[in-house]
Amino acid sequence: MNALSNALSEDIQQQIEGLLATPTFALEPGEHEARLLAVLRLELGYAAERSSQLRRYLDDWPVDYRVAARIAELPYLPVGAFKANPPLSLVAPESIVRTLASSATTGQMPSRVVLDAPTSKRMVKGVAAIISDFIGPKRRPYLVIDTPQTLAGQGGELGARGAAIQGLRPFATDIVCCLKADAAGALEIDEDRLFDFVARWGKSEVLVYGFTYVVWQHFVLPLRAKGIALDLPNLRLLHSGGWKRLLDQAVTREAFAGGVAGVFGCDPARVLDFYGMVENVGIIYPDCEQGNKHAPAFGAVIVRDPLTLQPVEAGRQGLVQVCSVLPSSFPGFLVLTDDIAEVIRYDGCECGRRGICFRFVKRVPKTEVRGCGNVETTRQRPQTV
Amino acid sequence: MSDLVQHVDSPLEITAAAQRLRARALSEDISPLRVIEVFERWGEALRGPVCDAIPGLAFLKLWLRRGALEPIVVRELGSEGFHGAWREERAARLRAFPLGVVGHWPAGNIEIQPMLSLSCALLGGNACLVRIPSGLIAETRAIAEKLQEVDVDGTLTGRIHLTIFDHERTDLQRAMAAAVDGAMVWGGAEAVTQIRSLPFPHWARIAVFGPRLSVAAMDGATWGDRDARESWCRRIARDVWQFDQQACSSPQTLFLERRADCDAAEFVDRLAEAFKAENQAHPRQAIHPAMTSAICLARASWLLDDTTHHARFPQAPDWTILLGEGSQIPDPTQGRTLSVLVVDDLLEPIEKFDGMVQTLGLAIRDGAREAVLAQAAGRNGVDRIVKLGRMHVFGSPWDGTDMIKPMVRLVRHMPSNED
Repeated sequence: MNALSNALSEDIQQQIEGLLATPTFALEPGEHEARLLAVLRLELGYAAERSSQLRRYLDDWPVDYRVAARIAELPYLPVGAFKANPPLSLVAPESIVRTLASSATTGQMPSRVVLDAPTSKRMVKGVAAIISDFIGPKRRPYLVIDTPQTLAGQGGELGARGAAIQGLRPFATDIVCCLKADAAGALEIDEDRLFDFVARWGKSEVLVYGFTYVVWQHFVLPLRAKGIALDLPNLRLLHSGGWKRLLDQAVTREAFAGGVAGVFGCDPARVLDFYGMVENVGIIYPDCEQGNKHAPAFGAVIVRDPLTLQPVEAGRQGLVQVCSVLPSSFPGFLVLTDDIAEVIRYDGCECGRRGICFRFVKRVPKTEVRGCGNVETTRQRPQTV
Repeated sequence: MSDLVQHVDSPLEITAAAQRLRARALSEDISPLRVIEVFERWGEALRGPVCDAIPGLAFLKLWLRRGALEPIVVRELGSEGFHGAWREERAARLRAFPLGVVGHWPAGNIEIQPMLSLSCALLGGNACLVRIPSGLIAETRAIAEKLQEVDVDGTLTGRIHLTIFDHERTDLQRAMAAAVDGAMVWGGAEAVTQIRSLPFPHWARIAVFGPRLSVAAMDGATWGDRDARESWCRRIARDVWQFDQQACSSPQTLFLERRADCDAAEFVDRLAEAFKAENQAHPRQAIHPAMTSAICLARASWLLDDTTHHARFPQAPDWTILLGEGSQIPDPTQGRTLSVLVVDDLLEPIEKFDGMVQTLGLAIRDGAREAVLAQAAGRNGVDRIVKLGRMHVFGSPWDGTDMIKPMVRLVRHMPSNED
């Protein structure tokens, strides 16, 4: 790898920049597919050149990526492949400026992706292009419903929450974190900072972000319990992250938006849920006003039938594959997730955004079959020392 | 014709069903021969579009034949036992009697398992209370209806109660355990552990057929024989396809003994053709998305982990062959994903088996060599050693244990009028 330049070729870089500069959700689907396919094929070639592991995978893939006629035929990596240790990388270690880690449940290995400076820059541009299409490009005071420690990360590694917070920096003037950890590490509201922020920015346009369950569990519920209502009617609250913990508490999306709006004194329509993952850096999927999610010019979404792994028809559900031209430091071009989504339509969302629109349905449920051939729990015998 | 498969909602229903079954079992002796006569008619009736679509039905039909069962009964209970008679043993007489009611907890992934399990207990003269897993209700009902058709006087159906309830209904699970005199428990570690902890009566005998995996192995002479290759590949494909590779007898790994003049990749290409053909003949009708994810991850991990690895697979998750070297069994993926590993000597992997391997499917040209491998396999925990292509043929012993004998009592009679 060291003998090669870290950079993508000029040609590829120009094509990526071209896609980033294109109006984010305006490409006609045919043109979008063709432009993206061309770049992704080149990027896979770049990855194969730099990683013998990737080359092995691409060589044994049933369709030669160099002649693939559709993005859906290109070799994708399942999201679990990013749990590899060391993380999958296409750049020399000295080029890595940051490692992002996914949130993982206890005992599970998180996904980790490495970023070099160019990928990091493209990631910021990508998120900025998407968010500005939803809330406009203006910078505004930024209230983070999390702790300063989450924002900072640890030892050069940034978690999913930290990465999401950082991704919105281009829209921020001041940043205020309104949670703190108590001595036991439990999250609590830093009331001084919160009330100061509210007092300073009152009716101004402000940006608020938090992980879904953090917003609910550590912000909305405690404020409600104390009967505190804030007065920030012109906020835009973005939130992301899993719904499982909230669904376990029977908190629906409507109840969540209503609860948030209640404590902030704003319209529930100002609460925006988005879907994203560290393996798909630089792309997030906010809900449009129709409740649908869209893919930007520099990315794509394919929903695959679990039985055939072919793209499903509109109205059907399947496994979500996310595609992105943005990374060059890790092979996150085509990633099959463990999420299920439904394709609403392949073009023509009433919000005006072009291309596929879809809705997240759920995480892939774990299989319930525990048959006589299921040796997931292998025989454990006490070991003698 | 009443439905043999019944939903239950209260512990009392289970207790009542068990009492009725016990009374029936104890009111009339039934010899294995009489049971087999009904089984034979049942096996012949198992046909038609619904039955033919049930995975593993061919194995059930084979099992229900007198030719298959008579030798098993004779081996386990003796030739007199086959007719339900006493046998002489020096000054004593011995005869098998049923335990009473045997509870069956089949695994949720093998369509014919409820019937295989209950057939063993019926041969011992028992009555059977069977909890049907939620995913197997339609298949079990279809097979049970065929039994009702041929068993007009209720010889066997009167001794069977097939019950449906949610596996999380602890009250019903406990009631069922408390009501039986014996149990046959099949499934994964979690299910087996949970069932074993139920309040069975202290006299109940419990036979557990827990989670295992199976492995195939071929010597160089066999897989290197290009003329015989197609036939062997077809056999392997059949073993992999049955039960969607989720049975304990399904091969997860195939070990090939290295042969200097033959390329394993060439063999794997032929195997891929056989998998393709088997898939065309028996395409999957449905798949759990988690299995699709697991298959995709297995393909990627295999190729990313080691640049000497290879793989053959289509775009769909229909089948996967992972090729490499090594004597350690990789974590099984199931879903028709076969790891093919080249080793210098088949004894290397066999000597690493740790009791998790149930069946070793073999294709070995030299009989003496096979005997050495079988000896090593037996020593290292393998319970069945069979020819490739016959890995799922159900028989006794299974998992190293008899199938009928554990559910009978051997009564010893010392006549009082003899010295």
